[in-house]
Amino acid sequence: MVSERKVGSVLVVGGGIAGMQSAIDLAESGFKVYIVEKSPSIGGHMAQLDKTFPTNDCAMCTLAPRMVDVGRHINIERLTYSEVVAAHGEPGRFEVTIRKKARSVDPEKCTGCGECTLHCPVRYEAYYPSLDVVEPELMHEDWEKVNTILNRYLHRRAPLIPVLQAINAEFNYLPENILYYVSRRLDIPLAHILRVATFYALFSLKPRGKHVISVCQGTSCFVRGADRVLERFQEVLGIGVGEVTQDKEFSLEVVRCLGCCALAPAIKVGEQVYAGVQSKGVEEILKGYTSR
Amino acid sequence: MIANDPHTIFVCQGTGCVSLRSSAIQKALEQEVETAGLAGSVQVKLCGCHGFCEQGPLVAIEPEGFLYTHVKAEDAPQIVREHLRDGRPVERLFYRDPLTRSAVPYYHDIPFYKKQMRLIMRNCGHIDPERIDDYIDAGGYEALRKALLEMTRDEVIEEVSRSGLRGRGGAGFPTGRKWAACRRAPGEPKYVICNADEGDPGAYMDRSILEADPHSIIEGMVIGAYAIGASYGFIFVRAEYPLAVDRLRIALRQAEERGFLGDNILNSGFGFSIDIDRGSGAFVSGEATALVASIEGWSGEPRPRPPRTAEAGVWGKPTNINNVKTWAKVPLIIERGAEWFASIGTEHSKGTMVFSLSGKVRNTGPVEVPMGTSLRSLIFDIGGGIPGGKALKAVQTGGPSGGCIPAELADVPVDYERLTELGSIMGSGGLVVMDEDTCMVDVAKYFLSFTMQESCGKCVPCREGIRRMHEILVDITEGRGQEGDIELLEQMGETIIDASLCGLGGSAPNPVLTTIRYFADEYRAHILEKRCPALACKSLVSYYIEPSKCQACQICLRSCPVKAIGGGKDQVHVIDQAACTRCGTCFEVCPPRFGAVTRLSGMPVPVAPPLEERLVARAR
Repeated sequence: MVSERKVGSVLVVGGGIAGMQSAIDLAESGFKVYIVEKSPSIGGHMAQLDKTFPTNDCAMCTLAPRMVDVGRHINIERLTYSEVVAAHGEPGRFEVTIRKKARSVDPEKCTGCGECTLHCPVRYEAYYPSLDVVEPELMHEDWEKVNTILNRYLHRRAPLIPVLQAINAEFNYLPENILYYVSRRLDIPLAHILRVATFYALFSLKPRGKHVISVCQGTSCFVRGADRVLERFQEVLGIGVGEVTQDKEFSLEVVRCLGCCALAPAIKVGEQVYAGVQSKGVEEILKGYTSR
Repeated sequence: MIANDPHTIFVCQGTGCVSLRSSAIQKALEQEVETAGLAGSVQVKLCGCHGFCEQGPLVAIEPEGFLYTHVKAEDAPQIVREHLRDGRPVERLFYRDPLTRSAVPYYHDIPFYKKQMRLIMRNCGHIDPERIDDYIDAGGYEALRKALLEMTRDEVIEEVSRSGLRGRGGAGFPTGRKWAACRRAPGEPKYVICNADEGDPGAYMDRSILEADPHSIIEGMVIGAYAIGASYGFIFVRAEYPLAVDRLRIALRQAEERGFLGDNILNSGFGFSIDIDRGSGAFVSGEATALVASIEGWSGEPRPRPPRTAEAGVWGKPTNINNVKTWAKVPLIIERGAEWFASIGTEHSKGTMVFSLSGKVRNTGPVEVPMGTSLRSLIFDIGGGIPGGKALKAVQTGGPSGGCIPAELADVPVDYERLTELGSIMGSGGLVVMDEDTCMVDVAKYFLSFTMQESCGKCVPCREGIRRMHEILVDITEGRGQEGDIELLEQMGETIIDASLCGLGGSAPNPVLTTIRYFADEYRAHILEKRCPALACKSLVSYYIEPSKCQACQICLRSCPVKAIGGGKDQVHVIDQAACTRCGTCFEVCPPRFGAVTRLSGMPVPVAPPLEERLVARAR
């Protein structure tokens, strides 16, 4: 029998987008709703998405109003930083045990300014997958090189970028376990380091070939047929842009202007610049670098 | 007798000439001077970019001013023995006028140099950038002495303001006013920055100056720092310019040794030091706030303004940022006076402008001309015109933020105001010449793909808008254009300009909007007729072998990478259109005397003649 009168209350487990929408719908239809979320805040993973299928709507635009609604609905009680330990009973009469974790912050007074996270002496070490799986073993000398680089720049007020540049130059890329180490030595969160490392074109997070070929795609080179030169490199090496040949000898990259526009099209192999490169000259250049 | 006079051989070691192995030439010359026993009177020195990169590697003999072009290491013995020992210059290596074919021995007679007004490039190619004494002998650091010892801070700012100098990075903001704002802003210490993050593709004059005359920039910065009251400076150099960084390091060390940098410069009590910061390959870091973020160790993303960097720049302190060329002009203004500088140029744009001339033009290289020089004069008088007898189609100024100016408007005098009127910008000075083979839709697409990749992604109009515009352009160039696309592009472009956070997005649609403004016919041909008038857009072009011209030489047949060409010995070749990838190899390899391979666009490919008619009759 379905009664017209709403009685009892509902528990929603999980404060992601689905949980929040359920909580709002239920609360709007007159139920008292408890929403349990194990992390310190409702919201879930949606905030990490750029946009959502199938409408390509901005994720935050969908998420934020619901967070606000859940946050101030008088019929919704939020139990964040809490986990369900046990549930007993049957539909209509459940009894649930919830463990509330210690937050050490008075949620009534907190304005969410975030100041405390900046001053906390304990750094939250970000999850970093497959540390020992992908990484080549680093030799003792390699660590010494890293330490030398770090010591050279530690005194600087903003040491991160010069350190990354030096490591990138030394190893041809930024090995993951070194970044992990740099994070601890410089006391900079890994997330920040990765943000910087992925922002700039100079840094590579993947190992590169012994000889890095950079084909200039600046305007002058473009006007003088650099795309054909690039195509030829792809054909001859059998790899695409950003890839490494199987024998680890070459990697192919594009660069935005080497400043050699007067002698376009230009390319760079390692630090050596070649000017006026024609697509038919590609094999000749490569010949100079093949160890065979 | 020439042999006993002291001579200096300058071997160009700018990036262009280095890529043509000029360091080997210098070594060969040094050795040759030694063996010829001329070491007492002849010096071999390196120098920065002469500007005439197309003719490189370049070797100049001073004090007469001989210029040798396309020099190879093997030419060293002849240059040293015949010219320096016996006094007979090597005519074979002189520059040849492309029209008259006559040899020009001295660089000051070559039209490329004669028509220029080299002020900040006065030392480029004439001093050794790695020796401070060369710079001092050329009058260097005199302006610093004058500013520090004879002028007050206000007088220096006043002088720069009166000269009418405007920022050479692109926006053209009056330099004096910028300095005054930073001087007034509360906060200590203050910083000055030299923006050498020359990111515009097609622009490389900053690099040339950094490599050829680094001290002029340092001197300008010290004068500026004195006027503003700054105690620290940064030179922010692009990652792609390792040679410039090396030369700057040497120059900074030497300047410090001589007391032009340090705690007590020239005993004036003023202290200032400079650090080099290297970029890491992000176009947007050239934007002032992004540059500051980069120096502070963050990812180089711009932030909304205000506050301006003059009030809150590096670590929240007042910071003055100027372009390389702006700093290099400062010593000249102090030394020769504001009135002299203001007498050059046009009403609102004073002094000279350095352009890097490149693309489809005969003489490429950085050139310096007074403001108000016409594009035509730049391209034809200095640039020597378009190679291959092709016609000028358009000139692109200002890099990805600029626009394309059509050939009809080439007579307009170039200054900040005129270029803005034409829908383009001055930018930092990139000037790419395009001829009739360049498709303007393709060019617009190229620039958008650049800004699309370089957009930092912080604000939506730039990140999403440019991507969508690029998609539309890809569709147009691949034959999927629709009516209404032009209007849509215009509408989106204007929205992106209005709504973007920084200058990158705020100017990114310019190449599209100017090409629509001046070359709308070309867009329409792509959209309505599926035709590329410049025969550049791959998807709209077919290659076709003219049966009446084909001599069955089999060159194209063998070169085709996908074996799409049929036929054989004595049999006219035919391209299998279904297999053809339109790579253009056949078009390139077909001997010019046959010229049988043609490109067609917007029309069906004629059916090949039947097999029996394909025989090529040859006279025996």
